[in-house]
Amino acid sequence: MFAKIVEISLGAILINNFIFSQFLGCCPFLGCSNKVDTATGMGLAVVFVMGLASAICWVIYTYILVPLNLAFLNTLAFILVIAALVQFVEMFLKKSVPSLYSALGIYLPLITTNCAVLGVVLLNVQNKYNFIESVVYGITGGIGFMLAIVLFASVRERTEFSDYPECFNGFAICLVSAALVALAFMGFSGMKIM
Amino acid sequence: MNNKVTKLALVLLLICAVTAGILGVVNALTFEQIAYNKMMKQISAFSAVLPSESGYTEVPFDGRAFPTVDSINQSNDGNGYVVTSTFSGAQGNITMACGVDNELKCTGISIIEHKETSGLGAVAASTSNKGVAFREQFIGQGADIALTKAGGTIDALAGATITSTAVTNATATSIAAVAALG
Amino acid sequence: MNRKQQFREGLITNNPVLVQQIGMCATMAITTTLFNGIGMGLSVLIILTCCNVVVAALRKIIPEEIRLAIFVVVIAGFVTIVDLLLQAFIPALSESLGVFIPLIVVNCIIIGRAEAFCQKNTVKDSFFDGIFQGLGYTCVLIIMCVFRELVGSGRFGGGLIDITNGFRFTLDGTGGGIQIFPADYGMGIMNLPFGGFLTLGLLIGLMQYALKKGEKKKKLEERAAKEAAAMKEVEE
Repeated sequence: MFAKIVEISLGAILINNFIFSQFLGCCPFLGCSNKVDTATGMGLAVVFVMGLASAICWVIYTYILVPLNLAFLNTLAFILVIAALVQFVEMFLKKSVPSLYSALGIYLPLITTNCAVLGVVLLNVQNKYNFIESVVYGITGGIGFMLAIVLFASVRERTEFSDYPECFNGFAICLVSAALVALAFMGFSGMKIM
Repeated sequence: MNNKVTKLALVLLLICAVTAGILGVVNALTFEQIAYNKMMKQISAFSAVLPSESGYTEVPFDGRAFPTVDSINQSNDGNGYVVTSTFSGAQGNITMACGVDNELKCTGISIIEHKETSGLGAVAASTSNKGVAFREQFIGQGADIALTKAGGTIDALAGATITSTAVTNATATSIAAVAALG
Repeated sequence: MNRKQQFREGLITNNPVLVQQIGMCATMAITTTLFNGIGMGLSVLIILTCCNVVVAALRKIIPEEIRLAIFVVVIAGFVTIVDLLLQAFIPALSESLGVFIPLIVVNCIIIGRAEAFCQKNTVKDSFFDGIFQGLGYTCVLIIMCVFRELVGSGRFGGGLIDITNGFRFTLDGTGGGIQIFPADYGMGIMNLPFGGFLTLGLLIGLMQYALKKGEKKKKLEERAAKEAAAMKEVEE
């Protein structure tokens, strides 16, 4: 059990990193990585929502959709749950934890269309994870996302001072530098603990 | 205000209900075909590694000693077992069927599901000459199966050492799991 | 609305991936074989067209406040339909695209077009918008697949074309493709995530270069025309 959880965490953070090996969540990854602080905020918000969404969607899938033979509705149900969840979290934080809200607030609405969040709940179902494994996969997947986006934000701050062809302005140079970071993450592939 | 909220909720509910209804119809139409596809896939993977005229019966095994093994299926013809296992490759999990005969020799392997890199690790599952040649090496191997690097006789796929090692180890585990059945 | 202009916008000047720069996850993830690329492109094209038509048809009765929720439900509905149909009739494609088919729900192209275009336009215009934007997306996928496959493993049309027993198309994804040079000489790294990021980055750079050049040319022409007109006036 413990070994399996370590394996899942290590896999989600390093080996099968959500961005650099599964390409999940590339849009916010490229959109919110201008500065290290924005990247940290976005990363924290994603960790939070991914963990929560994994837990809630697992319960809904196992105790509502499967017994009713409605497993084919999972995509529809999950996206609605995620949208509602993000909305509730936003309202809750605004009322009870204003300090956290001011740090994460503006990133929350963006998360609804982050494919890493929908991706993680769909992968939980596909990999047949149990409740604990699902939550661990959700949280560590979020940590992997955060690691990637924070690392990449620091790389990107450097590109501002470098000299590259003008036509590569914007996303093009980002993607080329992301390719190099992905190359570094390739070193983790095939790593094993068992 | 209250009236408006009710109206919004009603519109949303109506659209959800219509969508769910249409999906229900589509699901009813495709359900049998999907189940059939899944079954055919498993049957073709099983009979590729260990042909059996009369089908297979699942037998219990020690799941704690062999955590990667999903199921062991005894051939009703009595010519051996098919072991399915799921283990991590280079990019994600690989699901594989491995045939083991009564002398504890591998009768063939077939990769059911994988996420390996196209052109490198994915060759292990492909129908190309290289893929077939790679899988044929496994036929007749015993529990001491290993890559040439590790002193065995299995040649690894070019550029896919991790995948080759994972598949080779899984074959050894499958044989060991059948041996442990006693 | 001008169809020709819509066509140009979808394919070049307002291409969803290269110019609007949305919907990139799947673009990088699945473009390893031509089979995947065409399958994904066509799935998105069909879903986009259907959603555009439905959203445009319902645009008068959708309340402003909950429009996004309704778009998401409609999109998720069509995505599930396509997903089930693929699982039933082209299982090989459904397997190799995996989680990226259900993830079309959060593909910004579809929700973006619903929000930016279909809300304000007729059903007919939205229908063509869906087709042209979908085609633009498919074209980018095909370019990326062909490039990555050729450089990465020296092949063309993997999964889709089989030439061992004469030329034929394989819809079950088993075709070996046309080997242009031996796979051992290919840059295998182009098939890995690195290749996805790099190819898309280069493609966007190239597109920006081409668009800028086109603009410059236009400006020069305009200036030349103005000067010619001015010259004429002086002469008169």
